[in-house]
Amino acid sequence: MNTRTKKKAAILFSTALLAGVVAGCGGNNGNNEPAASNAGSPAAEATSGPVETLTVEVFDRGIQGQPDLNNNTWTKYVNEKFGKPNNAVVKFVSVPRSQEVDKLNVLMAANEAPDISFTYDGTTVTRFAKNKGLYTLDELLEKDGQQLKAYLGDTVLDYGKYEGQQVSIPAKRTLLAWNGLFIRKDWLDKLGLPVPTNKDELYDTLVAFRDKNPGNVNGVIPWATAAAGMNYTFGNLVPSFWGPMSEEEFVTTTNWLKPGNKDAYKWLNKLYSEKLISPDFALDKTAKQADADVTNGKVGFYGANWDYPLTAKMREPLKQNAPDANYVPIDAFKNAEGKYIKETYNENGLFSFIPKSSKHAELAMKYLNWMADPEVLFFLQFGEEGVNHTMVDGIPQGIAQTGENMQMSNLNLDYTLVVNGAELGDTEKNVKTYAAALATGDKDYEKMAVDSYAINTTDGYTGFYYGVPNEASIKYGKTLGDMNKQMMDRLIVAKPAEFDSLYDKLVKEYMDAGGKAVQDENIKHYREVKESSK
Amino acid sequence: MKAVLEREYAAIKKKNKFLHNIKRDKWLYTLLLLPFAYILIFKYAPIYGVVMAFQDYNIFAGIKGSEWVGMDVFQFIFQQDSFYRALKNTLLLNVYDLIAGFPAPIILAILLNELRAAKFKKLTQTVLYLPHFLSWVIIGGMVYLMFSNSGMVNTFLDNLGLGKIEFLSQKVPWLITYISVGVWQHIGWGTIIYLAAMTGINRELYEASDIDGCSRLRKVWHITLPGIKSTINILLILQIGRMVSIGFDRPFVMGNSLVSDYSDVISTFVYRVGISSGDFSQATAVGLFQSVVGLILLIGANYIAKKLGEDGIW
Repeated sequence: MNTRTKKKAAILFSTALLAGVVAGCGGNNGNNEPAASNAGSPAAEATSGPVETLTVEVFDRGIQGQPDLNNNTWTKYVNEKFGKPNNAVVKFVSVPRSQEVDKLNVLMAANEAPDISFTYDGTTVTRFAKNKGLYTLDELLEKDGQQLKAYLGDTVLDYGKYEGQQVSIPAKRTLLAWNGLFIRKDWLDKLGLPVPTNKDELYDTLVAFRDKNPGNVNGVIPWATAAAGMNYTFGNLVPSFWGPMSEEEFVTTTNWLKPGNKDAYKWLNKLYSEKLISPDFALDKTAKQADADVTNGKVGFYGANWDYPLTAKMREPLKQNAPDANYVPIDAFKNAEGKYIKETYNENGLFSFIPKSSKHAELAMKYLNWMADPEVLFFLQFGEEGVNHTMVDGIPQGIAQTGENMQMSNLNLDYTLVVNGAELGDTEKNVKTYAAALATGDKDYEKMAVDSYAINTTDGYTGFYYGVPNEASIKYGKTLGDMNKQMMDRLIVAKPAEFDSLYDKLVKEYMDAGGKAVQDENIKHYREVKESSK
Repeated sequence: MKAVLEREYAAIKKKNKFLHNIKRDKWLYTLLLLPFAYILIFKYAPIYGVVMAFQDYNIFAGIKGSEWVGMDVFQFIFQQDSFYRALKNTLLLNVYDLIAGFPAPIILAILLNELRAAKFKKLTQTVLYLPHFLSWVIIGGMVYLMFSNSGMVNTFLDNLGLGKIEFLSQKVPWLITYISVGVWQHIGWGTIIYLAAMTGINRELYEASDIDGCSRLRKVWHITLPGIKSTINILLILQIGRMVSIGFDRPFVMGNSLVSDYSDVISTFVYRVGISSGDFSQATAVGLFQSVVGLILLIGANYIAKKLGEDGIW
C-alpha cells in the first residue's frame, strides 16, 4: 500500500466514523428539536404556523401480514380527520406488545417516549407519576377534554388519579369478562357425557378424554395450557377452592395464603401427574405449542381469555385442521357455597398518559378528546360499511381483511386509546358486535361469544381499588409477579410426594421477597379506605 | 555523508522521539483514532453513570437531580435472597462452562491440526463454525424441539423402551443440556485462535521429531501443546476475569420456571429489576459489583499465572 492509498483509506475511515458519531448524537436531538421550536406556538391558531408532530404509541403485535403500523387505513383516517384540521401530523411509534413495560421504561428514561404513551400496567403509571414524570391533566381535561370527560365518566377517570390529580386517562372497558373455560362439545357427545358442572365431573371427563381418545388423534391432550402468564389460564379454578374468609382477608391476603389455595394447586398437581395436562406446558413460554395443540384438534379442554377461541389465530386454523371441533364455554369450578366466583375486569382498560418530556400536551389532549367522538370511534373500530363490515340488524358484521385494511388488534383497540371493547351502547349489543367483528359474521361464534360472556360475568368480583399506590408493590411488584408464575409452574409439575414441602418453601420465599410488605401495606390502605367511608 | 546523516537522525531522535514517531506514522495514527474514539465514547464516557448506584435514581430528574443515598442500594441488594441465588448460579454455570467448554476447542484444534487433506479440513472447520452465527433464540427453539418431553430425542428413547429423560425440567439433565449446547455453539469458533497459534510453531521441530521417531501423540504432547501454551494461558486468565458476568440470551432462552433455581443468573436479575421494574439504581449497583469482582478475579488469575512462571496478560 503506498502512502497515497493509505492516506485516502485513513481519511475515509475516520470520516465514516465521525459521521457515524455525529449522526448518533444528532439522532437523539432530532426528535426534540422541531418540537422545541414549536413549543411556543399556540395550538389554537391551528391552521397557520408550522406543522406540529404528535407522536402516539401503538403496540406491535407481530401479526402475520400486518401493514405498516404508521401507514394504513386507520392512520390515514387519523391524519385526515384529526391531523389536517389541527395542522398536525400524527405519527405512530410502535412498541412490541410482549415488552411494552420494558420498552416504555427505556423510552421514558431517554425522554423519548411518545407524546401519548400508554400501558396496561397501573403500577408503572404510578411509578412515573411518583417520580414526577407525567403531566397532570386536570386543567387540560377541563379546557380541551370535555367530550372525553363526558364519555368516560368519573368512575373510569378515577382509576387514573394519583394523589388526587389526574395523571392518566384510563380507557373505558365495555366488556368486563376476563377468563373463560372451553370444552370440546363434539367429544362429549361422542362419549355420551354431559357438560361437566363441577370439578369432579370435569376430572372424570378429562380421564375419559385421555383413555378413550374420542377425537382419535395422535397424542391427545385432555387439558391444554402453557407456562403461566401467557394467554392460557386455569380460569377460576383457584378461587373455587378458597374457603370462607372475611372481606378484609379476601381483599388483602396474598392468594398463596388464602385458605384452600394450597388444595387448588394440589389438585392441579394430581392432574398433571396423571397426564391430564399438557406434558411440556412449563417449557412453552410463548404459548405457541398450546395454540398449535388446540388448533390441531388434539385438546379437549382449556382455559384462556373469554374471547380467545374467537380470535382469528385460533378460529381459522382450527376450522382448517379439525372442522368438526366445537368448543363451548362452560362453568366448571363451583365452590363450597355453590357459586362460580371469578374475577372480572374493573371498568378501566389501558392507561394513556403524557410524559413530561412532551412538547405537545395540549394537542395530545385534543387528540384523545377527538377520539371520544362516537363517529370517530365507530370508524376506527368497524371501518367503512361495505368495505370493512356489513350491517345486519344494526350490528356491524366484520369482513375478513388483509393488507392495509387489516386490524392488528381486536376492534383496533391499540388505536382507539379511550375504549376497550365494542362501543354501541348496551352490553348485549356490544358482545354481539364484538363477536360479529371478530368472527367475521360466523353465527356459531356469535352464540358462543354471548354464552361465554354471560358465563364469565356470573358471580364475578373485581379487584379492590385502593385509590392509593402501594409503595411495596412498586418496589417488589415485578419480582413477585415473576415468582408467582414460576411458583405456579413448579407446584403443578412437582412430584406429588414433594408437593407439600415445596408449597410451604416457595410461599415462604415469596413472602420474604416482598409479598409480606405488599400485604401489610394493602391491609393498612384497606383499613384507611374503610375508616374514611364510615 | 552517511555518518552525518546518522548523527542528525540521532539528534532528532533524542530531541523528540515521540513527536517524530507521530509525524512519521501520522496516517497509521489517524487510523488508530477509530478504535480509540470507540473506546472513549462507548466504554469510558458511560462510566459516569455508575453514580446512579449511589442514588435513588429518578429517570425524569436525571443524575443531577436525583437524591444521593450512599450505600442504601447495595444494602438492599445484599439483603435479597434472589440476588445471592443469581450470583451463585452465575458462578456455578461459569465454572461448569470453564471445565467443559475451555478444553473442548483446544482438543478440537489439535484434531483439526492433524488433518492431512486441506479441503476436508476447511470444510470441517466451516461446518463447526456455523452454530456460532445462530442466535440463541433459534438455538432455544431447536433445543425445545429436540429435548422436550415430547421432543425428538425423548420420542426416540421412549420408543426404544428406555424411558424419557427430562432434559429441560430436571436439575442435572438441564445443567448437562445447558453446558453441552454451549460447547456445541462455541467450539468451532473457539478453535480459530488456537489454530492460528499452531501455525506459528516452527515446522522444523516436527521434522526433527519425525527423524527421532516420535509418534503422533508424542508430537502433540511435546510440540503442539507447549507451542500454544501461552495462548491457552491468556485465554484462561481472560475467561476467569469474566467469571461473574454471563451472557443474557443463553440462560434466558434455555431457562424455564421449573429450573429457575439454577437458571436465574445476574444478567436476568439485572434485566428484571432494571429494565422491567425500571429500578435503574439497583441494576447499576449490581453491574458495578460485577465489574469489581471481575477485576479482582482477573488480577488474581494474572498474579497466580505470573507466580507460576507463565506469561500474564500484562
